[in-house]
Amino acid sequence: MRSTSASCLLALLWVACSSQEPDALPAAARPAQLEPVPVDHPPIAALPDPELSGGHVGRAPRRLTTAQLKASIRVTTGRDWSQIDNLAASLGRADYALVNAEATETNLVFAKFLDDGAREVCLATADADLKQTDAALRILSREVPANLDLTAIDESTLQKNLTYLSIRFWGQPLTGDELASWSSTFKNIAVRAKAAKKPREAWGSICVALMTDARFVTY
Amino acid sequence: MKQPSALTRRHFLRAAAGFAGASLIGATPFRAFAQATDLAPPDRCFVFLYFGGGWDVLLGLDPRDPSVFTPERVSETRILPGYDLLSADGSFPEGLVVPTQRAGAAPPAMTFGPAIGRMADHYDKLAVVRGINMTTVAHEVGFRYFLTGKSPNGSAARGSSTATEIVGQLKPAVPVPSLAYGIESYNDRFPGYANALRVSRASDLILALKPSATTLDAEIEKQLVDLRGNPVRCESQLYDSRGLVTQYKDARTQMSSVLGNQLYRAFELDFEPGNAADPLVDVRNKERAAIRARYNLPDSGGVNYDAPSARAAMIAVALKKGISQCVSMNIVGGLDTHFGTQITHATNQRNGWNAVADMVDDLRSSPHPAGGTFLDHTTIMCFSEFSRTPLINGTGGRDHHISSSALLLGAGIKHNCVFGRAGDINMAPGLINRGTGEPDSKGSNILPEDLIATVLASAGLDYAITRTSPLKGLLAG
Repeated sequence: MRSTSASCLLALLWVACSSQEPDALPAAARPAQLEPVPVDHPPIAALPDPELSGGHVGRAPRRLTTAQLKASIRVTTGRDWSQIDNLAASLGRADYALVNAEATETNLVFAKFLDDGAREVCLATADADLKQTDAALRILSREVPANLDLTAIDESTLQKNLTYLSIRFWGQPLTGDELASWSSTFKNIAVRAKAAKKPREAWGSICVALMTDARFVTY
Repeated sequence: MKQPSALTRRHFLRAAAGFAGASLIGATPFRAFAQATDLAPPDRCFVFLYFGGGWDVLLGLDPRDPSVFTPERVSETRILPGYDLLSADGSFPEGLVVPTQRAGAAPPAMTFGPAIGRMADHYDKLAVVRGINMTTVAHEVGFRYFLTGKSPNGSAARGSSTATEIVGQLKPAVPVPSLAYGIESYNDRFPGYANALRVSRASDLILALKPSATTLDAEIEKQLVDLRGNPVRCESQLYDSRGLVTQYKDARTQMSSVLGNQLYRAFELDFEPGNAADPLVDVRNKERAAIRARYNLPDSGGVNYDAPSARAAMIAVALKKGISQCVSMNIVGGLDTHFGTQITHATNQRNGWNAVADMVDDLRSSPHPAGGTFLDHTTIMCFSEFSRTPLINGTGGRDHHISSSALLLGAGIKHNCVFGRAGDINMAPGLINRGTGEPDSKGSNILPEDLIATVLASAGLDYAITRTSPLKGLLAG
């Protein structure tokens, strides 16, 4: 028994240590090999210097289409702008009967209608937030403790909430001087909203500013 | 270096109006009042009127004598005027329309088809261009070709609309330089100020000019305006290298100006209930009553703002009040009549012409602040995407035909003349002498860009974008 085991071990060692080249093996027994991919495309140039390209590189920014705007408002505020379908033709939506191309011009009509829509949606959202005691379920004041006096929000909490909102609406955070500017504006608005007994206009007006900002309507 | 301008009494009054306005009408943005400007009509205005669907030029601008182009000769001429088919209606003339000579004007140099309506009365101020080769019988290609003066790329418009080109070059100091109603508008090379206020219906126009129904506290509005006025970061400026963000900001600035001027009131034509706080209600009601009477709009029961006559009234308002320099409008539709009777098409086309005629009446009887009448300062172009076949099809309608006509009217245009000619066989577009408008075997086709170049040249504007020269025989003087 012992001699049989030793013979098997020797046989295995012989196979393992054999110097026979793979090519000498039958084709079916050879391991598959990938051919190296030839590098035959031209060298990839770095992005051009914006200074040499009229100040821009890459594709041009675009305005949201009406359908994209509708979806963006729903995603950011959780509610629809009630008039968007009524106004869609003037906002640029193609009807594919007489008009077969979506217009995405950022003209006066778009600016005005979006302003109207932002006011409707944002104030309704702010209203709902005021009634919501669970901070995690609020849209516009998620980082702010419930029932806190608008004018008593500390700077850190305020900036945290504004940063959260800017990411929610624009996909990019407010930072630096701009964050400080928005924070300062909110404080002024909060004082006025409290004095005028219009609490929904505090975060509601910030929402209007976010939604009517170019960063919300372009991509 | 630009010196800051000194504060004048005018600035002070505007600022005061801003504070007063903010407190009186809390709904209107604070700064809008401060930006309110005195409205003054531009020295030169333009109107582009689109007859939607493809008009039948036999019924309007390019008629044929039914006693010559008879059904018996149709295999030879391939033209059937079909005016006798309108007799069932009873309100259309059965032959050619010869305008009645106006007092002090030369005898008419043209005839019209039976659907021309009251427009024939203005023969002394217009030029008819016939035999235009549209090079297409596709709706969107045809009207985009006429809007831009450039043959579309497939069906996609190329270049800017002529109205955009005009306000882009002239930069008028009016709140809505270009108004486009029910019609497309393009801007491919000018900043946002040249973008048209583009709406698909009258209610949207009024909504666009009216302060928002959902208001914020006036002081909070001011805070938002200040916030938007803050400088942007470097990345934002790089992102805006192609100007889209600047265009959007321009549009918002324009919005503030428009809301501050309460321009929506100018376009509302119905009776306005009394308001003790607004002493101008009576004045506005008198103006509106006069407009309703001129344009045959109902005094009670509400104005149908999307009817051709109301649209025409709004064009005149936009020009006369100094709101716009260019108005582009789909004045009438329902002309794509492949089926049915000739009466449907003739009725729709006549509604359009009558509306235009009322507007021309209004402009030629309204004095312009710079002298003369508004018509002396306004160039009007009426067009359609193509015309309809000279023969009637098996379903009683007419299909699309490549040759068309157009009408030019008012300032800078030679009056009481016909330029160009469609052939007497199948109304084919022919070769025309560009100086005289007469058929010329060594001439060229009349194309839409020729007319756009002529309109631009009529006001001394650069017409290089059309890559052609104006039709000199059409220019005044």
